[in-house]
Amino acid sequence: MSQKKPQMQVEQKVPENIVKKTARDTKLREAVAKRRTERLAANKTRRAQWEKNAQAYENEYKAADKSLIDNIRKAKSEGGFYVPAESKLILVVRIRGINTLNPQVRQTLRLLKLRQLHNAAFVRVNKATIEMIRKVEPYVTYGYPSRAVIKNLIYKRGYAKINGQRIPITNNNVIEQQLGKVGIHSIEDLIHEIVTVGPNFKEANRFLWAFKLRGPRGGFIAKRKSFINQGDWGNREDLINDLVKRMI
Amino acid sequence: MTSVPLVSVFSADDSSKVTAKHIPLPAVFQTPIRPDIVSFVHTNIAKNRRQAHAVNPQAGMQHSAESWGTGRAVARIPRVSGSGTHRSGQAAFGNQCRKGRMSLPIKVWRRWHRRVNIKQKRHAAATAVAATGIVPLVLARGHRISQVPQIPLVVEDKIESYEKTTDALNFLKRFGAFEDVQKVVSTKVVRAGISKQRGKKYRVRKGPLVVYFNENAKLLKAFRNVPGVEVVNVTRLNLLQLAPGGQLGRFVIWTQSAFAHLDKLFGTYRYTSIIKDGYQLLRPLITNPDLARIINSNQVQEKVQPAKTTKVLHEVQKKNPLKNSKAMDRLNPYAKKQRAAAVAAIKANTKGTKKIKKNKALKKASRAAYNKVAASLNDATKAAVQEEQDIKVKYFSVQKGAAQTE
Repeated sequence: MSQKKPQMQVEQKVPENIVKKTARDTKLREAVAKRRTERLAANKTRRAQWEKNAQAYENEYKAADKSLIDNIRKAKSEGGFYVPAESKLILVVRIRGINTLNPQVRQTLRLLKLRQLHNAAFVRVNKATIEMIRKVEPYVTYGYPSRAVIKNLIYKRGYAKINGQRIPITNNNVIEQQLGKVGIHSIEDLIHEIVTVGPNFKEANRFLWAFKLRGPRGGFIAKRKSFINQGDWGNREDLINDLVKRMI
Repeated sequence: MTSVPLVSVFSADDSSKVTAKHIPLPAVFQTPIRPDIVSFVHTNIAKNRRQAHAVNPQAGMQHSAESWGTGRAVARIPRVSGSGTHRSGQAAFGNQCRKGRMSLPIKVWRRWHRRVNIKQKRHAAATAVAATGIVPLVLARGHRISQVPQIPLVVEDKIESYEKTTDALNFLKRFGAFEDVQKVVSTKVVRAGISKQRGKKYRVRKGPLVVYFNENAKLLKAFRNVPGVEVVNVTRLNLLQLAPGGQLGRFVIWTQSAFAHLDKLFGTYRYTSIIKDGYQLLRPLITNPDLARIINSNQVQEKVQPAKTTKVLHEVQKKNPLKNSKAMDRLNPYAKKQRAAAVAAIKANTKGTKKIKKNKALKKASRAAYNKVAASLNDATKAAVQEEQDIKVKYFSVQKGAAQTE
């Protein structure tokens, strides 16, 4: 308690610890500030690009609609019929629960990402997937989704699978992180990829978690019967849109 | 370490006078504080003062009780034999029985004492001595030392020749130790429990411990009657006194020669102890306790990774972009323009149309038209309506009549 005190200098010396720490802290703060300005500048250019892309897609969709109408009119005027190309995209909705399922059906539903009642998922149309859907037909209803339905599904019910976790798509960083390398940077890019079934549809669809829809307002007709037989399961082509609108 | 902590020796008569300045602290005060060792050693050593006791081996068993066996609608516990008294037929022997012997009766050959390794005992004593030099520990133990001039308190050997208790009291008052004694006096309470009938009526706190060196010192008698004060020779330092209850930090008053003897007793970090043959004080785990300096040193900071920031990928709550325009704009900057365009389109479509107002003239005209239609009902309808009305009237009049006659 009573130590021998050497003759102290009057000048105040700052302890070495504090000098070092303040130097470190200022350096860190500067780095953070620099990162922030860089990030904000980058964000600005990114947002401009998103806007540009979204506008381009809007024009593309308008052009597609217009060309469809023009073709129909042209065919009509020539006395023929215009048959538009079959849809490349199917929206599958699971309408049966989990009990007493045939194991093959169970596995196929799992492969289609339909693990739960009222789950919906996009599926590309090809021989393989058609066969899969045929296998599970009595347990699902499916059809060709319209652009509006696709858009609404992704905006309202869009969740991403990131590291095995279900992450809500609340901003475009979520999309950029996973799909940036295949050229999908914003939600409109994603929607466009799904709608047009583009070259990176696989990545885009894999990125999406299955849509968890609510039960349809107004109900089903009869899930035990096929749609063709005044029921619900199976292919209902464009009428899937009415159903899904009631389920979103 | 070039600088050594130093201690002053105070004059016995005047607490402001220092007889010897700047005596180096004995090495034992530098040992690391090891409450774990002290607590272990204390719990064992405290058992060594116990005297054997036991219950009467025959207690509860002085019956010829036997179990009645099964078939008599009673429990199978042994029952007291005989008749003619309440006691007969009552349960006996079992620990659960009234007047039965206890379970596992205490035997005198219970292992009352514990041996502790000498090294552990020595380490504990050294730590306890070191703790007496640390003010926060002594305060935490509950000693009232705010007026004491120095911790550790070293006083010249004069106090070893005190014979009168008044001298002792005045000495304590002079050095601010009397507050601790007063604490002992004021907190003396009658002990709870039956020990009060067995010779331990009061629970008394511990006050200062006075440590002396010379064997023929008379201070024992002087300090003996002061409540709470204990006196001990430095060669016989007791962990039970240095850390009562296993709690480090007793308030100790050293005499100068006792203080000087500590280096011989416990040794230093350069030399092992002479008296405790070959005993070496515990070395601390880390030699540089200045953690802040270590952490902020260049060697450590070079290797250290930058602090992790909680990087949030997505907003905590998902808002529906179809309803929440802010959420929508975050995702799709073009949406703002689309909304504006939609509003403009509606405005363009409704351009030139007046706002629909309630047209009173129209309303009047439509009412007139309706009445005209009603008036021009064809006769068949009219007749049918009239007939219905007649029937109604007839019905009601019949009822009236019926009521009157009955």
